[in-house]
Amino acid sequence: MSAAGRIVIEGIGMVGSFGCGVSDFSRALADGGSRPASLAVSTGSGPIEIPAHLADTSPLSEFVPARTLRRIDRFSRLALLGSFLALRDAGLADTERRRLGLIVASGHGATGITYAFLESFIKDGDICASPTHFANSVHNSAAANISILSGIAGPCLTVSQFHLSVPSALATALRWLAEGRADRVLFAAVEELSELIGYAWYRRRGGAKSVPMTPLRTAEETAVPAEGAACLLLSRAEAARGGYCALGEAVTGSRPDDGFPLPDAGLLVLSADGRKDAGRRFAALARNARIACYTPLYGSMPAGPAFDLAAAALILKGGRIFPSPGDAALDFPATVPAGGELLGAPRVSCLTLGDGATFGLATLENP
Amino acid sequence: MTTTEKLKNILVEDLNLEELTPGDIDDDAPLFGEGLGLDSLDAVELVVIVQKHFGIEIRNMDEGRTAFQSIRSLAAYIDERLPVR
Repeated sequence: MSAAGRIVIEGIGMVGSFGCGVSDFSRALADGGSRPASLAVSTGSGPIEIPAHLADTSPLSEFVPARTLRRIDRFSRLALLGSFLALRDAGLADTERRRLGLIVASGHGATGITYAFLESFIKDGDICASPTHFANSVHNSAAANISILSGIAGPCLTVSQFHLSVPSALATALRWLAEGRADRVLFAAVEELSELIGYAWYRRRGGAKSVPMTPLRTAEETAVPAEGAACLLLSRAEAARGGYCALGEAVTGSRPDDGFPLPDAGLLVLSADGRKDAGRRFAALARNARIACYTPLYGSMPAGPAFDLAAAALILKGGRIFPSPGDAALDFPATVPAGGELLGAPRVSCLTLGDGATFGLATLENP
Repeated sequence: MTTTEKLKNILVEDLNLEELTPGDIDDDAPLFGEGLGLDSLDAVELVVIVQKHFGIEIRNMDEGRTAFQSIRSLAAYIDERLPVR
């Protein structure tokens, strides 16, 4: 890609169990520090507590008045907070948002308010369904809230493709920028950990026992459900003022495990998140690559690959690879050691796997 | 608990008036515009709230306009229509 067509990550906004903002995320990457809390879930055999990476949205009051927030659900609040943080990180003024596009990526969407709306239907009848719940349950509502409250006037889209939501939405963002539909795109990957998602996790796991997340030990099921937002301000190089790194490509596809050509990158960041089925495929694909994995810092969620992108951007900017948190990675001999190490290469790729043989791959590079 | 007190609790909870407590709401303050500051979408929510929590259906705009003047007028509207116990 020519310098004129280059896309730059100009700002980053992070919200998760590690805290809020780039500095909290960087600290967690360096220290390996983020512990799951717990989420109360109702089950047929009574209430239980499950381990969960939960995020605090209270810093949103710095950007949006409380009265305005009262109709905005938790999913949108997470998306809004990450978005405002990314815009502030880039120093983007209100007057620069006319040609700013917006893409929200989420595997689950606004499950809390959607199921509250459906439950009110079942419990009280359709005549008593809340119009506010309905408005928030609409697929594009978070994107609409971000667009209205932050003054974004460009195209606006929500992409949901479960585990491939992030690479798919990222590819669309790059297309918009290449076509000149916008000078910048705010890319917001978001998940909300509602009680419903917690219950689904409990049923999948068959219990609520908490174990440390060890995603690089692929024979074990150690996923811990999570919520959060990872937002990137993507800008055409000619419009950007500085930034973290360039975004080379983002692709999705389908390949057999033994025929996957790994990119020529100095590091491969894996979105392995403790799900055993995906873990086996990661091991088959990347066993001999120099790899890192940061999911124990923010947990298991379909939007996780966007957190990997933010980590990769910080690695490229600082030139040093953060250590992978968790126990020794028996299935990946070339894992970055506990103390971290110098990157010594101009590119970092992020690999995520979807269902079947599907994959998503994004490559970041130094300009 | 009186209907007025119950209404204040429900409004704070169901309309997410996070910056208010039920005790902050004046019985005679206008619900819309100045006063509690509710808007047209809240009017629809109020119709749902009254039906859901009190089993009373507000059938037309004239009834609603009279009832939705204040907490006091809404409580009176509800009390007049509640079955005698």
